[in-house]
Amino acid sequence: MKEIQQKVERLLLKTQKPARYIGGELGSVIKDRDKVDVRFAFCFPDVYDVGMSHLGMKILYGLKNQRENWWCERVFMPEKDFEQQMRENDIPLYALESLDPIKDFDFIGFTLQYELSYTNVLEMLDLAGLPVYSRDRKDLTPIIVGGGPCVCNPEPVADFFDLFIIGEGEEVNIELMELYERMKPSAPTKEEFLREAAKIEGIYVPSFYDVAYNDDGTVNSIVPNREGVPAKVRKRVIADFDSVYYPDSFVVPFTSIVHDRAVVEVLRGCIRGCRFCQAGFIYRPFREKKIETIEKQTKCLCEQTGYEQVSLSSLSTSDYTQIEKLLDTLADYTDSERINLSLPSLRIDKFSEELLEKIASVRKSGLTFAPEAGTQKLRDVINKNITEEEIMHTCKMAFEAGYGTVKLYFMLGLPEETDEDVLGIAELAHKVVDLYFATPREQRASTIQVSLSTATFVPKPFTPFEFEPQARPEEVNRRQKLISDAIRSKKIRFSYHEQKVSNLEAVLARGDRRICDVIYSAWKSGCTLDSWDEHFRPDLWEDAFNKCGIDRDFYVYRRRSYDEIMPWSHLDYLVSREFLISENKKAHEAKTTRNCCEGCSACGITTKYGGTYCKVRE
Amino acid sequence: MLMPKNQNLIIERWDYRLTFAKEGRARYISHLDLMRTMQRAIKRAGIPIWYTQGFNPHAYLMFPLALSLGTDSRIEILDIALTEDLPFDEVVEKLNSSMPEGLYFVSAARPVMKHTDIAFAEYIIEADFDIPVEEAYEKFKQFIHQDVIEVEKRTKPKKGRKAGVKLIDIKPHIDLINISADKEKLIVELRLPAGGEFNLNTSVVIDAFCSFAAADIVTQYTKRTKILTASGENFL
Ligand code: SF4
Ligand code: SF4
Repeated sequence: MKEIQQKVERLLLKTQKPARYIGGELGSVIKDRDKVDVRFAFCFPDVYDVGMSHLGMKILYGLKNQRENWWCERVFMPEKDFEQQMRENDIPLYALESLDPIKDFDFIGFTLQYELSYTNVLEMLDLAGLPVYSRDRKDLTPIIVGGGPCVCNPEPVADFFDLFIIGEGEEVNIELMELYERMKPSAPTKEEFLREAAKIEGIYVPSFYDVAYNDDGTVNSIVPNREGVPAKVRKRVIADFDSVYYPDSFVVPFTSIVHDRAVVEVLRGCIRGCRFCQAGFIYRPFREKKIETIEKQTKCLCEQTGYEQVSLSSLSTSDYTQIEKLLDTLADYTDSERINLSLPSLRIDKFSEELLEKIASVRKSGLTFAPEAGTQKLRDVINKNITEEEIMHTCKMAFEAGYGTVKLYFMLGLPEETDEDVLGIAELAHKVVDLYFATPREQRASTIQVSLSTATFVPKPFTPFEFEPQARPEEVNRRQKLISDAIRSKKIRFSYHEQKVSNLEAVLARGDRRICDVIYSAWKSGCTLDSWDEHFRPDLWEDAFNKCGIDRDFYVYRRRSYDEIMPWSHLDYLVSREFLISENKKAHEAKTTRNCCEGCSACGITTKYGGTYCKVRE
Repeated sequence: MLMPKNQNLIIERWDYRLTFAKEGRARYISHLDLMRTMQRAIKRAGIPIWYTQGFNPHAYLMFPLALSLGTDSRIEILDIALTEDLPFDEVVEKLNSSMPEGLYFVSAARPVMKHTDIAFAEYIIEADFDIPVEEAYEKFKQFIHQDVIEVEKRTKPKKGRKAGVKLIDIKPHIDLINISADKEKLIVELRLPAGGEFNLNTSVVIDAFCSFAAADIVTQYTKRTKILTASGENFL
């Protein structure tokens, strides 16, 4: 440690935002390394500023450190300047608490939040001084573990990990580490340990499955190659969400990070099955915490961290069953303590005047809507149950309350999308502008700015659109141009995403194990931090695909049949294939499905998982 | 009508001058980040901080003198105001109950002097260069005995003038208190101007030395030891 610390300190004054590389923040957990039995390096495969904002890491960090003899530490991807310095000065990737090299830890866990972070995983393993392929790491430790939403299709990174945690981590992480602690004294081989680990529900050991392919390139079968390994790995769900562990303190960074505030998770899952939305399906069912629990956790976190802002986090916080009561209860505390209360994910149909006022008092940043599609027909296709009327109604209230900025988010390249739908995007923006000018001058803000932004739709596993092709870049470009040509108002600002990124995301999201070598090859040629515009190298990725002889179009532009075996077919996220198929069919007929609160649609989940609205018994 | 929240409240305030340490890992906290860190520390401590009056009330905190990134100190100053007259040691104790590693309060007192009274600061610099320490020692003496020590200083853009660099002579501003060397390190004690009018960082001096001696720093450890007024008194 001392040696690393000295080397690091020598470099810090030449480094951007050096406090990111030295730890020591309030709330970081320091233990005596001689008194701990299991050491876990929790890696976020992106830079500190991004990773430190991530709630899942805060939860699992606190949870694991509750055990006196376990020590969980944080590790982030260094920025390019510091990464180069580390390599030049022989500094291996180290954990921020102990400053010890993570190569010597028992576990190294990565949370996979977005596909574009995959090359960062390889970079971090390499910086740690470890072989990136699982098969080349013969020793028991470090055991490389992956979790997070992307592991619903972990196949494109299957060769690099020893095991994956499928679903929610609070229970299974503990079970895994307990197993390790029990087995460690008998010095098992890696194989022996993984065999036992694979028996834990929610643990997927990719090397224990063989994948066979058909001549046309599709998957023929995925079968276990060891005794006692389940044919299907089912995701873990915390059924009693109200009493699940929640940290009573956070690591409070010195430098500013993306979301620098206290965060309380109020609910998990989403009642709305927007058909493009992976989160809406893989985090099912909807469960929520009691008001008292949320209140207690809010107070505790604010007191421990000293944050002056707390946000109520979830996929859709306004769907909390007693949202008004919750806000009233919390406002008593936050107002008296001068703490800002924010709700990052509001839905407009729940936006009552009262609610707007409550939030208006604390939130001046502007209104954000994600209608996702420009016409009602297309919103029905994607099951985004927002009507134009609702948008206009909310905007009217907001303009009368003096709001002057509106952000509108849309997707392009959705299934069934026509030019009419595309033009509808520009039209909607104009209507919002008109509405502002129709608001009495003395009520409205002095100026209006409508920001329109479009992202290219990326079909994701375990959604009803997992069967769909992605739109071709030329086509998406044409549609972008349709919009920009249709914009007549200077009050509208239009921005869109880079096509090449979405195309790569599409491959990585629905790829199979043959993509592993492409990722390796891209990383070898220098691709890292791909989610950063300034670092993304589409040319190097192109070379990697060519070198590996992989036709990316096969993954991106092909419509999958309803009976095709998907690369992720051996994973069970509880939502049934039949449900996804029926949702896909309804999408093409522009028929909506009610949300869970309006009535259960029997998506495949049973009552035993604690869902507030689930009706089907096992 | 819109009214500031605390418009009609005349709240009494008690001023506190806190002395704190910034050492170890905490010395890499930038000045801007330190402000935020201290605000949160005060919030956690639950001491009754005084808020500025007006439309945008905020907790009153003031650092009279910034400390360069990477420099250690046990004599840094933070001024705050409370709405209650708490005993000094109670304030220190409460604040210290939850501080990050390397950052802690040493004492509290009523402010005696004005921020503008700060004129100098003293430092100890222990540095190890890529040249033998004896050579560094000799060269430093030569360096400091030059008639002029010119360094480049970036100038701020002003009306009709672009940002640029100009040469300034720092020699008259450097007060060498002591210089010595042990087996590996050169140890230099300096008094440099600090505060409002003119501020000279140790790094400017050391960089100038490096280019003079054609040497590079291997490791360096800098500590601020005193904050002084124009007449050489400790700032209170
Ligand atoms: S409201 Fe729709 S888009 Fe938002 S999280 Fe729920 S399912 Fe996804
Ligand atoms: S089982 Fe019913 S209520 Fe539960 S998540 Fe599925 S559709 Fe919603």
